[in-house]
Amino acid sequence: MVRNEHSPYLENIAAYAVGALDAEEIAALESHLQTCASCRTELAEYRLLSESMLTAVPPRQPSVALRNRIQSRLPGARKDARPRWNWSPGFTAGALAFVVLLALNVYSVSQMRALQLQQTQLARQYQSGQTVLAMLSYPATERLPIASESLAGSFLLDKDRNLAALIVWKMPQLPEDQTYQIWLIAPQGDRTSAGIFRPEDGQAYTTQIIFPKQGFSNYVGIGVTVEPAGGSDQPTGERVLKVDF
Amino acid sequence: MDHSDDIDLVGRVAKGDERAFLALYDRHVSRVYGLTLHILGEPMLAEEATQDTFLKLWSRARQYLAERGPFLSWLLTIARRVAIDRVRLESRRPVLTDANDPEDVWQNTPDLGTVSEETRWRSLHFAVQSLHPDQRRVIELAYYQGMSQSQIAEVLGWPLGTVKTRLRAAMENLREVWNEK
Repeated sequence: MVRNEHSPYLENIAAYAVGALDAEEIAALESHLQTCASCRTELAEYRLLSESMLTAVPPRQPSVALRNRIQSRLPGARKDARPRWNWSPGFTAGALAFVVLLALNVYSVSQMRALQLQQTQLARQYQSGQTVLAMLSYPATERLPIASESLAGSFLLDKDRNLAALIVWKMPQLPEDQTYQIWLIAPQGDRTSAGIFRPEDGQAYTTQIIFPKQGFSNYVGIGVTVEPAGGSDQPTGERVLKVDF
Repeated sequence: MDHSDDIDLVGRVAKGDERAFLALYDRHVSRVYGLTLHILGEPMLAEEATQDTFLKLWSRARQYLAERGPFLSWLLTIARRVAIDRVRLESRRPVLTDANDPEDVWQNTPDLGTVSEETRWRSLHFAVQSLHPDQRRVIELAYYQGMSQSQIAEVLGWPLGTVKTRLRAAMENLREVWNEK
């Protein structure tokens, strides 16, 4: 191929190498380049020149902050951005103060919970005491003695209001895996649970208020046994007291 | 500056080595910033383009092929493209097809391994500065501003043929200087 046949393309090769052709010119030249080795060689030389022109401008130094900004965008920098332990005296003092405050806070919370529990117990005792007082003042309330060799107390029974109160003195505490359970005894001997309880710490007596689902007239007595924690469907353990109506 | 060190460093960057990345930054940032500042003319914009360029290096390091040419040429091709894109964005000029797109540059780049690049680049800098002012103006707008010949003709109010003639003459002059070294 003689030079004249290349002329329209050769004129554009330099401009193509620096990206200065329009789309139509680019398409025509690239089509020609596919079949013309000499033009590809010409283009390669201009491309080399074009790339070299990238450094034909004076180097300049950017601000120092740029390096830090770029570094902060790297994954490692994001990890480093997490707070690190620095055991300086100030940090240590702050950490100790934090631990002390945390301990005080935990202690305060535990104390508050103990007080709330105590308050609940006192409220329940107060309510039971009020109920017992009310029952004692009611003329129809029966006061029945507890039949037990080791325990003393009373069973207050108000059949009109279907209400009873069991008051036991010096009832022994049980292991954590055991509980006392109250049973209502039917004439045929069937037992129905009327609740479980544990003696309250620091109290000389235990008061349990009983509200049976059916009237007390359906029963002939109550009993209290020692059962596994959570109670049983039927009595399984030792009976500690019994009251006959 | 040792080209083989660049190859080693960029290989480590491709594996996520941040120290190697910062070493490359320290080596070449003045070139990258010099180019982006020349194109954009505004230090803040040039720093943003420099940052984008190096973040592209971080994410695309594995695309660099040492057998195709010097690392710095590859990096500056990216920088030029980033800066010209910014110029186009700022001026709302239409995006042109660019034969120096870093994605395409390896398709046509000859082996530079035997060329003493540094000496030639220094002489090329003076050669550009020595061009006739009209030729240098066309080169500036085409190469460093990403304009096509028809856009240059419109901006300068010159006939398109004049722009083409001056651009071609400028490139031939630069090539002569380039080949003399």
